[in-house]
Amino acid sequence: MSLKIDAPFVERVLTRFIRDELAKFGFKKGILGLSGGLDSAVCAALAARALGPANVLGLIMPCGDAFPADVRDAERVGRALGIRARVIDIAPQIDAYFAAQPTKDRRRRGNKMARERMSILYDYSAREKALILGTSNKTELLIGYGTIHGDLACAINPVGDLYKTQVRQLARHLGLPAPILRKPPTAGLWAGQTDEAEIGLTYAELDEILENIVEKGKSAADMIKAGIKPAAVRGVWEMIRRSEFKRRMPPIAKLSQRSVGHDFLYPYDWGR
Amino acid sequence: MRIALAQIAPRLGDVERNLDLHLEYMERARREKADLLVFPELSLTGYTLKDLAGEVALDPRTSPLFKRITARSRGLSVVAGFMEERAEEKGLFYNSAAFISGGRILHVHRKVFLPTNGLFEEAKFFAPGRDFRTFPTPFGKAGLLICRDFLHYGASYVLYAGGTDMIIAVSAAPGRGVGGGEAFESGRMWELMGEAIAGFSTAFVVYVNRVGSEDGVTFAGGSFVCGPDGRFLARAASLDAEFLVLDLDLAAVREARMKRLYKRDEKPDIILRSLERVVRVPED
Repeated sequence: MSLKIDAPFVERVLTRFIRDELAKFGFKKGILGLSGGLDSAVCAALAARALGPANVLGLIMPCGDAFPADVRDAERVGRALGIRARVIDIAPQIDAYFAAQPTKDRRRRGNKMARERMSILYDYSAREKALILGTSNKTELLIGYGTIHGDLACAINPVGDLYKTQVRQLARHLGLPAPILRKPPTAGLWAGQTDEAEIGLTYAELDEILENIVEKGKSAADMIKAGIKPAAVRGVWEMIRRSEFKRRMPPIAKLSQRSVGHDFLYPYDWGR
Repeated sequence: MRIALAQIAPRLGDVERNLDLHLEYMERARREKADLLVFPELSLTGYTLKDLAGEVALDPRTSPLFKRITARSRGLSVVAGFMEERAEEKGLFYNSAAFISGGRILHVHRKVFLPTNGLFEEAKFFAPGRDFRTFPTPFGKAGLLICRDFLHYGASYVLYAGGTDMIIAVSAAPGRGVGGGEAFESGRMWELMGEAIAGFSTAFVVYVNRVGSEDGVTFAGGSFVCGPDGRFLARAASLDAEFLVLDLDLAAVREARMKRLYKRDEKPDIILRSLERVVRVPED
């Protein structure tokens, strides 16, 4: 595995990125959802170092008392970093919605919750004059393991070019609490869900395949020849292909000479 | 001579603000008694311009903004990067760098090699330059290269064959690769090229890269100067803005060329004839 990172240097680059990008848009404060998992803990730690703990707000947004251990872990992260943290229960709006639109589809329920959290983050972003930090890592982005307009939504994403195994390295360097480092990653959409069980691969296996595809430009045939299971290789490629829409702005039907997204092209940091 | 390297972070698309930054650094260079101050690629505009190119482009001979730099170049030579559009070539935007000295523009180099792959989009928005040439300066002959130009070694060869004492490469090189070394891995690549080109050319290589970030891309800094023996004379920090001032002993070029006779024994005519054959009849 050659995904080893120089964690202190990565910390330097990412804290600078957070600080600079917020300053460019006139913000001092950052806000993010704290799930109790590794990615949001790493983002919060980077933000605390970049902006000062008092300028970071972590929103802990459980749905009722479904995952009490995750709430405790999120609070532990908040305390360890000395950032501001606030618990907002999303059950009232989720329950009201599904009382009117009943479903047993746990994926629909989970995605609705992820979008409810996004909606609260954007409201708090305006209320607190704080920019939203995204917490989706490169592994998740590549296989589309996230809810579009839900947890994938953010203003800036400091960890989107780090594979999950690299986020873990950074987490160790940042000295996050041990239980956070150890717990199995979960999207928290339903009880007992873990990423690795749902995806069918461990993050080590997944990142190895992604590294071969993305960093080394290997073909499926190359990887299978090198001893990686054909089903795994094909499965990962399929996840990448199916989720391209989550990594893009939607296509706009072109009519004019110059159209938004096609040939009206300005930089994000325009004038900053 | 005393040279100053301005490893700065321009503001994207804000020429007036960047001009102020240039004038500030020029004052600083004057206080340090520098003879030459070098800014990075597109220092007056920022790098990731896309469709902003046409809005920030200027003609260095007539632009009132640019003239403020030229007017202050008496006693302090300056290399600055800008988006160029000349009255006689309307609608063509060049990624250019000018060597300004004594109230005059001595030379404008237009970037020839426009990277257009992956995160680079230059040929989509910019017109390519068509020439590499040396020009006389108060410090001997110099040649200008812009970022990717420096990675095509034929470009440095032309300057070397043209008798350059100093290759000035201005850059907006993104940092890539975080596998170790307390800097981006891509920074070492630029250093290797700098050492090699300085050694082959028995000339000074001045590499000035920018810092800051645009649209998520972090520019790596790590500006440096190599002497005509191929050794580093100074290196700036990675990531941080820096104002690096050092003295260059111009006699070092003569010393290097007396010790290692590549320049005396160079045969550009044979190289040219061989090149013509390669270009006309591609080898199979």
